[in-house]
Formats: sequence, structure tokens, C-alpha cells
Amino acid sequence: MTFRRKLMGVFVLTVVLSVATVAGVVSLVVRRSFDKADDDRTAALVAQFRREFDRRGKEVNHSIETIAASDAATRIALAINQNITDYGAYLNDAKATADSHRLDFLEFADDQGTIISSAQWPAKFGYKESFFPAVAGSNTSAFLKQEDLPDGVALGVFALRANTVGDKPLYVIGGKQLDKDFLASIELPTGMRTMLYQNLGNTFSAKNLIDPSGSAQSPEQLAGLIKQVQQQAKESVTVIHWSSSSDDDEVVRAIPLTGIDQKLLGILLVGNSRRAYVELGRHIRSAAFLALGAGIVLAVIFSSWAAARVTRPVEQLADAAREVADGNWSAQAPVTSSDELGELAASFNQMTHELLDQKERLVQTERVAAWRELARRLAHELKNPLFPLQLTVENLLRARQQSPEQFEEIFKESSATLLAEISNLKTIIGRFSEFSKMPQPQWQKLDLNEIVRNVGRLFQAQLHAPEQSAIECKLELAGDLFPIAADPDLLHRALSNLVLNAMDAMPQGGTLILRTSRQGGNARIEVSDTGKGLTPEECERLFTPYYTSKAHGTGLGLAIVQSVINDHGGRISVRSEPGHGTTFVIELPGNMEKVSAATH
Amino acid sequence: MQRQENMKRTCLRWLAASSLVLAAMCASAATRPRYGGTLRISSATALNSIDPADAPDSLLRRNLTRLLFETLVIVDDSGTIQPSLADSWNSSLDGQRWQFILRHSLTFSDGSPLTSDVVAASLRKANPAWRVTSQADGITIELETAVSDFPAELSLTRNAIVRRGNKLLGTGPFVVSQWEPLRRLVLTARDDYRDGRAFLDNIDFEMGKPLRDQSIAFDLGQTDVIEITPEQARRAATEGRRVASSSPTELMALLFARDAQSEAEQKLREALALSIDRVLMNRVLLLNDGDAAGSLLPTWMTGYGFVFSADANQVRAKQLRSEAGLARTWTIGYNNEDMLARVVAERIVLNARDAGLNVQTTQSAPGDIRLIRIPLALTNERTEFSELVSAMGLSPIKLSSSNAENAYGVENALLQSRRVIPLLHLRYVVGISANVQGWAIHRDGSWDVQKVWLSGR
Repeated sequence: MTFRRKLMGVFVLTVVLSVATVAGVVSLVVRRSFDKADDDRTAALVAQFRREFDRRGKEVNHSIETIAASDAATRIALAINQNITDYGAYLNDAKATADSHRLDFLEFADDQGTIISSAQWPAKFGYKESFFPAVAGSNTSAFLKQEDLPDGVALGVFALRANTVGDKPLYVIGGKQLDKDFLASIELPTGMRTMLYQNLGNTFSAKNLIDPSGSAQSPEQLAGLIKQVQQQAKESVTVIHWSSSSDDDEVVRAIPLTGIDQKLLGILLVGNSRRAYVELGRHIRSAAFLALGAGIVLAVIFSSWAAARVTRPVEQLADAAREVADGNWSAQAPVTSSDELGELAASFNQMTHELLDQKERLVQTERVAAWRELARRLAHELKNPLFPLQLTVENLLRARQQSPEQFEEIFKESSATLLAEISNLKTIIGRFSEFSKMPQPQWQKLDLNEIVRNVGRLFQAQLHAPEQSAIECKLELAGDLFPIAADPDLLHRALSNLVLNAMDAMPQGGTLILRTSRQGGNARIEVSDTGKGLTPEECERLFTPYYTSKAHGTGLGLAIVQSVINDHGGRISVRSEPGHGTTFVIELPGNMEKVSAATH
Repeated sequence: MQRQENMKRTCLRWLAASSLVLAAMCASAATRPRYGGTLRISSATALNSIDPADAPDSLLRRNLTRLLFETLVIVDDSGTIQPSLADSWNSSLDGQRWQFILRHSLTFSDGSPLTSDVVAASLRKANPAWRVTSQADGITIELETAVSDFPAELSLTRNAIVRRGNKLLGTGPFVVSQWEPLRRLVLTARDDYRDGRAFLDNIDFEMGKPLRDQSIAFDLGQTDVIEITPEQARRAATEGRRVASSSPTELMALLFARDAQSEAEQKLREALALSIDRVLMNRVLLLNDGDAAGSLLPTWMTGYGFVFSADANQVRAKQLRSEAGLARTWTIGYNNEDMLARVVAERIVLNARDAGLNVQTTQSAPGDIRLIRIPLALTNERTEFSELVSAMGLSPIKLSSSNAENAYGVENALLQSRRVIPLLHLRYVVGISANVQGWAIHRDGSWDVQKVWLSGR
């Protein structure tokens, strides 16, 4: 990944993280705000419930006070004090009185708590009021009470008053039911609702849960919350997931309602829909995603510009460095700023300048060294034949002066020697001349295996010459080798040089292996011997012109090979260890385009 | 001075005498029956047919039938069988063949004569099991089993003689002039009725009118006769309303939907019967205006009713309950529009709960137990039991005569079966406006409208 892309990535990531962080913080703040608003609204609703409860209690209190003071109640009270036990005449009084005062419950009971007349259960005459002893003395405010009815039990706000016209009081107990109408009378903010659970035991019963419309929907979902309140008798809150959609989630707070004896009689459930919160959260998320998308686009654009601005000098520097690596030591990086990158570019330019100077100095040094080497080699090469020439000529001169009779014979011998050495000199000069005049390859399509076979065939006789130890030549040619474009003569010469080197390396005999193979898109030739091998230092200098490790070499053979291979766009390397033979590896590209270029 | 005094005394005597004569004349004019007027009667019961043979039996149907149709015989308030359309009757020695001689010169409301063929056809329609044949002057009825007091059965409403053609014709004192099933029936007096024309010109029945609406209409002077529920009778009387009531002629009872399936269930049913405080119900709910019923038929009718105790016995009820072991919850179904039935059913629930029994009221389903109200026919015990078990849907009973010993045996067997638990005997009560004169109600709750007349409103 390029530096520019990395920089862009960092910019984009920074923007994304920033937007996500802001969205998260906003969501958190909104959630806390909503939770607080929920709490406030629920508290307000509970307060309203209590006010409504108190209002009803006052209404009931007022109604019961009025009834207790009414003529009807006084008539019954008088009957009680007159010990009239036949209450049949008053059987319907409670019902009629309750209807006129819009009470759901009303009972007249004597001083013993015996029901004389009951509006909610007329047939209950003569029975004792179950809660009578507990509240007979507490003639105060309204209270919550469960009332037995023929078809079940109802929860209501009750009040109790006594009519004391004589010694024996008449108790008037009445109230209003806490039912769906009561729930409907509570004004609710949008998204809130109330439900009432009538607690008739320690187990949950769905039919005991009502809402303003009647039976509550899916009451089982609230069973856990209600059971929790039943067990702990304290306020509890939970989130109810009514469906798979979070829009339908509802925070439900359960508030226990207790009677005079602190017994849990009912549970008020205040539901607060989370729809608004969920929708706001969704809007925040949408806005965050929108901002994120816009931020990413802007970040890409900005980061592209910024990264380009930042990385352009770096890229120019990299290009310059790449040019230097490719050999253009005069490459310069433009200095576009005065910041660190500008300093870096200036330093680079200075470095390349100095490198160039050093290179020139090195080239000069190498050239001098090469000339010296060449001179040394020429001197060495020429000195060898010159010395016999000198000796032969001196011998001729000495023979002419000292032994004229043998001069003819000596002359003939010396002439032969002179000619041989002169020939030797010519050979030496020819080699140098050949090295200096390496021809350019004549490209043609050829089969590398065939070249290798020809080389092997060429040296077959020398390998098995009787005057030297036998060398076995092995050809390991790849069957799938593709044809390449090359100059067959040059390639033949290069391979021949390598084979000659190998033969020189194996004076005691050995095995010469010529191997071809396919290496990706390149053809590979290996020439291996089982000679004494080379040291690492020898390997390093092996392709240096005029360097030789042999006693009679010119040091140009491998230089010529390397020159040929380079001219073919290939590469030559050597792999050797002392005592384990040497392997020269040549890698040649296909170069087929050279053939078509040559054709055209 | 003395003379002046005597003249003054003479004038005063004349004035006093004149006043007395005038007052006597006015009083005579106020109490003397007079013809004309329409008697307006309201009823909560609604009939969709006036055919006496159609079910269900009700006091309204009985009274309507008496106005439009007649039976061969009638049973008077003392329980004696009196001739009506039949002049006389006799039976074979074995009591299976009965012959009734019809009165002469009887006509239907359209003027057509009452023939023995019409009488036979009418009785065959109402009693398919009877073999009824007609003779020139009467009919003969052959029964499958001997019945010693068979004529009483002919006094039942369903045995009223009807000529069924395009419309129903009877020999009663009134004839139908307007008929809207379930809503209204207007009767017009027959001028040619054999016992003389009724004082009333018309009787206008408004049917299916709720009791509350009846009471309001009565107070507004829009109706002359209304029904009053038994529990409201005493209160209506104390409020100054003019009421007329029959003897306790309606049975309120609990009827189990099926026979007891085990001895344990028998005990549970007995426990339920013993737990119910009928006496308190009668005292509080009816203000002692009915009877706590330990028997199906009222004591005033049979004479042996007191043998079957109506007292509650919670101790024994609890004992039986514990002996019975596990018990399921019973449901009591009742007519939701009947307030007395509702209170009684709820009271039974409370009483049963005291005994450890689980009983609930229900309005949506028939229930394991039904709270029923059956008007008694009050003819004789045999006929009454027959009608009673028929009304309750029980198996017919075999009772050849109406002597008290047989009747007691039958009733005892019925009660021991624990299929039915008698609760109360109720009176039939009507409220009558002040302008209605001569109103009489028989012991069985039927009206004697023939003598009713209307004073000025």
C-alpha cells in the first residue's frame, strides 16, 4: 500500500472515528435525557394517579358521609337500636342509595358488622363484613380494599362512616371501583398508558390485569414484572419487548398498591413507550451515517489533496531514488518546500551529487586500476613470449659468434621457436582484440537444448582425450523448455568458455553436467563441474576482466561470457564451495520481441 | 219564638234528610257496575301464540285462555271440579273411560255452534295419547291407565276447547280484535256470551313490557294493571299501591341438569339442599310474603308439605360435604332479567360456600343447576305432579289418584332423587289502579275479569 493510501486511510479512519464518537456521545446523552424524561413523566403520572385516587377518595368520603347522615341511614340505624332484626325492608336500600350516589359499592352494617343491605351483593344480607374489625374504629380517610363480588373480586377506593343515632351505630361502607373507567379517567401524556393488576394471590393471573380498554393485551409479557413486585412488594421497572421491533418496546414501572393492613392489593403499571426514543435514536443514527458518508467523501477528497500535497515530494524523492537505483545517478528531487520534506529532498540531491562525484572518482579509480591490471596482464602475457624471444635471439647471436658451424641448425630451431612465440603473441593480442570487439547479438529463434547439445557434442572428443583423465559429460535437458531469441554463435561461444573452464577445473577427471530448465518466464542453463571449487573471494572476482585463478588464463573468458549474457538481457551467477565443484547458472529471458523487431 | 224555632228545626231536618238522600244516591252511583271502557294490562311475558296447546305455560297464557276459550270443567278455589262446557260426566268402573255431556246451545265467538266433533278434535290435538271420540251430545275419552280424578286434568289450560281454522275461535267471554305477536293483544267483549256480556268493552294487553316500564306507566296512568314481582309486593303495598295477590302458586326450585351419578354426589346435593336458608330468604327477600318451600307443592294445597323441612342445617350440610370427598364446582344458571332469581342464586352461592361447597352463578351457560320458576296448575296433586315433572323435563310419574298418601310418596321419591331442590313458593301479584273495580284474583293467580268494570278516571 502506498504512503498516500495509508495517509488517506488514516484521514478517513480519523473522520469515521470522530463521527462515530460524536454519534455515540449524542446517543448516550439523548438516552440519559430520555431516561430522565421517562422518570419525570412516570413520576408525574404516578402523582396524577395518587391525586385521582385522593380525589376519588374524597368523593367517596363525601358520598359516604352524606349517606350516613341521610334519612334512609337514620331509619336503619333506628331499627338497629330498636333491636329490629328483620332487615328485609332495607334489602334494596343500599342498591338504590348507591345508584343515586353513583357508588359501585355500598353496604349498611350493624354494630356487629352484620350486613343489612348490600348494593354490590344483595344476597349477602346477614353475613359479617370480613374486614369490619380492622376499620370499624378508623373513621378517617379513604382506603384501598378488595371487595368480594358474586362473580369475583374487585378493587376499590372505600370509605367508612357511622350513623350514631343511638347506642348502636350503623356503619356505612362504600366506594368506587378501580376499574378501566378509573384508568381511563387519568389523563395521560402521549406514549404513556396505565394498567392495573388486581392482586388476588402470589401467582400471576392474566385476567386480573386491565387497562383503560378492558382486558390488557398480551398480559403474559408482564407476568415477570408483576411476580417480582408480588415477591418484593416494592416498585420495580423493566423494559417489555412487545414484538421483534424495538419501536414497540415499552418501559413499564410497577407500583405496589396496599390496603389498610399493608397487604398488597393491586399493582399499578405505568407504561412508557420507547417509540419516540427509538425514532430519535434512529434519526441520530441516520444523521450520523449521513455525516459519516459525507465525512468519508470529504475525507477522501481532502485526504487525497492533503496526501498528494504531503506525499508528492516524497514520491518525487522516491522517483529520484528509483532513478538512482536504475543507474541515473544524476537524478534530482525537486525542492518544493522549506519544511522537513524540502530539507530531505535537498539532502537527497546533495547525496546524489556526492554519489555521482564519488562514482566518477570510483570509475576513474577503477579505470586506472583496470588499465593497471591491463598493463600488468599485458606485461605479464607479453613478457612470457618475449622472454623466450629474447633468449632465442640472444642464443642466435651467441651461436653466430661462438658456433657458426652450428648456427644453421640453431637458427632453424630458434626460428621455429620465434615463430611459435610470435604466434603466441598474436594469439594473445587476438584475444584482447576479440574482447574489445564483442559483436551485438544477431537475434533469431532457437532451441536452447540444441545449443547445449552442440556444445556437448563439440567437446566430446576433448573430454575423452587419452592424454588427460576422462571427464563424463551429462546432459539434463528440460523437455518443456520454450524457444528463445538469442544469437546462437555468441551463446555457443559463452557455453564453450564455461565448458573449457569446467574442463580446466577437473584435471583429475570428473563429471560435467549441462542442465537446462524452465524458471518462470526465463530459460535456465547450468554448467556444473565436480572440480575443486572456488572460494567466496574467487567467486566475487570471477567475472572481473583479466582476473583468473588459472596459471595460463587471460582472465577474459568469463568476462566474455558475462558480456554475452548481459547483451542477451540475461544474468549469470556462480555457485561454488571449495571441494564441491562449481556451477554456473545462466538465466535468459525469452526475448521473442527481439526476433519480430529484427524481422521488421 | 217557639214557632220560629220549630220552623228552623224543620228546615234543618229537611236539609239533613235531603243531604242524606243525595249522598246515598251518589254512593250508589259510585259502586254500581257499569259497562264500557278498556282495561289496559301490562305484562313482562310475551306470547307469540294464543293457542292454549302451545308451550310454554304461563300465568298470562292461562288468563288469556280463560278470556278467549273455555274448558269442559273448571276447578274452583276450594279445589272442587265444576262444570263449564260440559254439563255432566261419568266414568266406567275401571276409571279408564270417561264420557262428558256438553251443554246445549253453546256457540263460538263467530256464532257457530260448539259441536262434540270440535271438542274431540281440540282435545286430541292437545293430548295425542288420548283416544277421544265424539257422540251426538258429548265425547268419550279412553285412557291407557285408570285415573280416578281425571276431570281435573281437563281444567288445564292446554285442554281449553279451540276450533282451529283460519283463526282460533273459542267460546270465552272475549274475542280477539287485534293481535300482534309478542307485542299486543286487544280483546273485545262478546255480547252473546252465555253468562252475559262482560262489563268491559275491551281488554288491551301490552306484552313484553319490562317491570320498570310497567311501574312508570302505572304511575303515569297509562296502564291499569301491572305485574309486581313477589319481592316488591310488600313494598308496593306499603307505598300505598293497590295490589292483589294469589296464594303461593309458583314454585322456585333448583333443578339439576342430570341425575346424581354417585352416592357422593347424592350427598353433595343433599348438603346443598340443607345449606340453603330458605326461611331467611323468605323473610328478607319476600318479607314473608311467600313460603319457604321444603316440598314441591305448597302445603295449603296438599296438607303434607310441612313434613318436608325447609329449615337450613349447616352442621349436617358440612358433615355431608366432608363425607362426599372431592367435589367439583357447580354452576347455577338463572334468568338474568329476574332480579329475585339473581339474588336467590347469589344467596345460594353464599350458603353453599358456608357448607364448603363450590357453587358459582352463570348467565352465559345453562349451568349444572338451573334456578327455575314454575307456575303450579293447582288442580289436584296427580295433575300437578304430572305437569310439574313435565315442566322440569323429568320422567313422567305414575299416580293413579290424588289421595294424600300417594301424592306424598311421589313427592318424597322426587325429592329423594336429589334432582330438584324446592326453595320458595311465590305469590302472583298484580298492581291495580284505583279506577278498576270488581277485580278478583283466584288462588291460582287467574283473574276473574268477567266482573271487572271501570269507574271514571
